[in-house]
Amino acid sequence: MTWTCDQIEVQLSDYLEGLLQASERAEFEAHVAACPECAPLVASVKNVMTELRSMESIEAPSRLVRSILDQTVGPREKVSPWQAIQNLIRGLATPKFAYGFASVMATFVILFSASGLSLRKPKLADLQPANVYRNADRRLHLVYANSVKYVSDLRVVYEIQSRLRQDQNELQVTPQENSPKSTPDKDPGQTDDRTHSQPKQQNRANEIGRQFEMLAAECPVVWERSFR
Amino acid sequence: MEQDAQLVQRCLQGDGSAWEELVRRHSRRIFNVCYRFVGNRTEAEDISQEVFLRVYRTLGSYRSAHGGFATWMTSVTRNLLIDHYRRTKRDRQTDSLDDAMPVVENKESSARRPDQQALLNELSGQVQSALTRLSPELREAVILRDLQQLEYAEIQQVLEVPEGTVKSRINRGRIELAKILQQMGVRPS
Repeated sequence: MTWTCDQIEVQLSDYLEGLLQASERAEFEAHVAACPECAPLVASVKNVMTELRSMESIEAPSRLVRSILDQTVGPREKVSPWQAIQNLIRGLATPKFAYGFASVMATFVILFSASGLSLRKPKLADLQPANVYRNADRRLHLVYANSVKYVSDLRVVYEIQSRLRQDQNELQVTPQENSPKSTPDKDPGQTDDRTHSQPKQQNRANEIGRQFEMLAAECPVVWERSFR
Repeated sequence: MEQDAQLVQRCLQGDGSAWEELVRRHSRRIFNVCYRFVGNRTEAEDISQEVFLRVYRTLGSYRSAHGGFATWMTSVTRNLLIDHYRRTKRDRQTDSLDDAMPVVENKESSARRPDQQALLNELSGQVQSALTRLSPELREAVILRDLQQLEYAEIQQVLEVPEGTVKSRINRGRIELAKILQQMGVRPS
């Protein structure tokens, strides 16, 4: 042990900052390892250094910069209240603000209509949470019922259209089936009781008519909307 | 980013925006140096303003050949802090550790506002409190080295003392700080 405690204290920061030579470092560490007074001192100073270096920078007061500028280059040009309002309006007339405002208004309208509030007959009671909830619930159920009905109507219309298409396909049979076949052994104006296309087509038309009547009886509204 | 020296040149030519940029760039750092030295936000704010006023008035005397603008500003700050310390003289008794302890005890026993007490409950608050009990020459050396992370040469320039003195002050400052914290019952880990 060649170093004294005083030397350790003098060289402490150099040791902690890694500025000692290898031989000095070895002697320093040898002394500290054997000295009950220097070991805690080195540890505590090292911790203090670590703590100091980890302390965060403090935010300066926001008014500091303004205050310095006011005192050096002078206060900024003062604006009249009217100019301030104009500047404010100019600042608001931006696409960003317009989109934001439109979005807020749309949200407000949706919430207003969903809550069931009436502008024609405004009542204070409508603003009570229970009433707002009841109105919103009623509106929600109405929307749901209307949606279900609309889907159901669409299904009926689709069904009718598909049946019509099916029947039209059946009616448009191949030409060789529909066209009168030449019967060389038959006299003109005479029937041979073999082809009955006319009564068959009539029966099919009657069948479609019956189906339409049946559907019309089932859903008169859709019938009227769709076909009249 | 434009260099400080260029901004200074523009300032000297009457460009207000260059000065504003300099103020914005350095106000936080200067405020921190002041706050760590005096340990009080209001005083730190006042001294920071004073620093910038002094810098603004003496900007023409700055020469980039003598060092960086930040170092020059730090020198101005240090001088004003020492002036402030001499003017107030309220913690002159903290020059030596032995004399400081009775003052520490008095400070501990005096009533504190809840926000000050909450700050002291945190380790950094306790370290800050201990820092303000160091003698000014040790305090400024520790602040510049460990908080502002300045190089020895820069500190030497700011304090206008030889490098050996700088190292000695930093070393003594750290040791005394560790002892103060130990006496306060604080153990940084």
